[in-house]
Amino acid sequence: MELETPVHTTAMKPEDVLKVIAANRGTAICIPTMTTSPSWRTIAPDDLSIGCVGFMGGASTLGLGLALGCPDRRVIVFDGDGSLCMQLGSLPTIAGSGARNLTHLLFRNNVYHTSGAQGTPGGEGMDWVMMAKGAGYKDAFAVRSLAELEEYLPAILTGEGPIFVELHTGLAEKTPMTDRGGVPFPQQVETMRSRLQA
Amino acid sequence: MAMPESIPAPLIIDTYKELFRAERNGARRKDPLGWIISVPDTHQKTVLAALDKERDVKVLTCSTEDEANGVAAGLWMAGEPVIVMIQHAGLYASVNTLRGIAIDGRVPIFYMIGLLSREADKDPLESKHSMVRWCEPLLDVFGVPHARLEGPDDVKLIPEYYRMSRARRGPAALLVGLATS
Repeated sequence: MELETPVHTTAMKPEDVLKVIAANRGTAICIPTMTTSPSWRTIAPDDLSIGCVGFMGGASTLGLGLALGCPDRRVIVFDGDGSLCMQLGSLPTIAGSGARNLTHLLFRNNVYHTSGAQGTPGGEGMDWVMMAKGAGYKDAFAVRSLAELEEYLPAILTGEGPIFVELHTGLAEKTPMTDRGGVPFPQQVETMRSRLQA
Repeated sequence: MAMPESIPAPLIIDTYKELFRAERNGARRKDPLGWIISVPDTHQKTVLAALDKERDVKVLTCSTEDEANGVAAGLWMAGEPVIVMIQHAGLYASVNTLRGIAIDGRVPIFYMIGLLSREADKDPLESKHSMVRWCEPLLDVFGVPHARLEGPDDVKLIPEYYRMSRARRGPAALLVGLATS
């Protein structure tokens, strides 16, 4: 049976977005969370990513810490709208930090996909770009198609941050519940630290 | 029970800076000397006010203690010296993140936790205020090593517990007994 969700049928597939980012990220550190995690493991199975697992909502600030600690390297957070709702205060925290190398991608699908596709607070009515702008991000904009993504890619990957990008996406093929596994978080932490200290 | 004493802010800040210098010894990056990730705490307000004037130490104020944990974890992965300053209410508010990042995630995080409303003539465990009374038992439940900062002589515990968090790859906390001066 199909789930009844408020997701737009014309929305981008999150896997397609991830493939574009993977092909163009260069040396950027990436922080997937929730439904982007399983696909990202396959698309970019490297050591310069760290999945936010076990503390929902923490991807944005984990990325902020990495961005502040690695000012010469781009850091890209793959946040979810349900996740960001859980740590909404991270918007002004990130904006106030002035992290010039941080790109905050929001994979918006208006549902908590992992837990059964319950609607997010505010749902379709949320204007995430306005919220990020209001918090003080250097730049914030929405992307609704792969063509737009390609167009905005230079700004997303090299623009002065913090940058917020609302990606209008559909549901991912996999979730952390349907595709468990991957490297345990503590091991990811140690690997990332070793790579950054090398 | 010995009466606790207020600790002067400069003594704490000098201890932070000495610790950060030791951590930076030999590191490629020297600036800033170290990071303070805080959510404002009435009990430690003189330290936070003095830190605002420090050029060597970078202070980032977060909206919540959950965020402070995330930022501290990212900075640690990047090799940066970092201390988290919060109050007891913030510890209660961020227990799941403490568990997920510092305990299960095995990320060293060192906390300075203010015991706002702690009575000078009472052991914190006998405080009439639940936020004061339950702080140490909560840390015990989660197996977080902790100690009390009860006066200027105790500042030596700051490097000790900071390094303990790094050595054990997990959380460690100091509880600031009286408001700093």
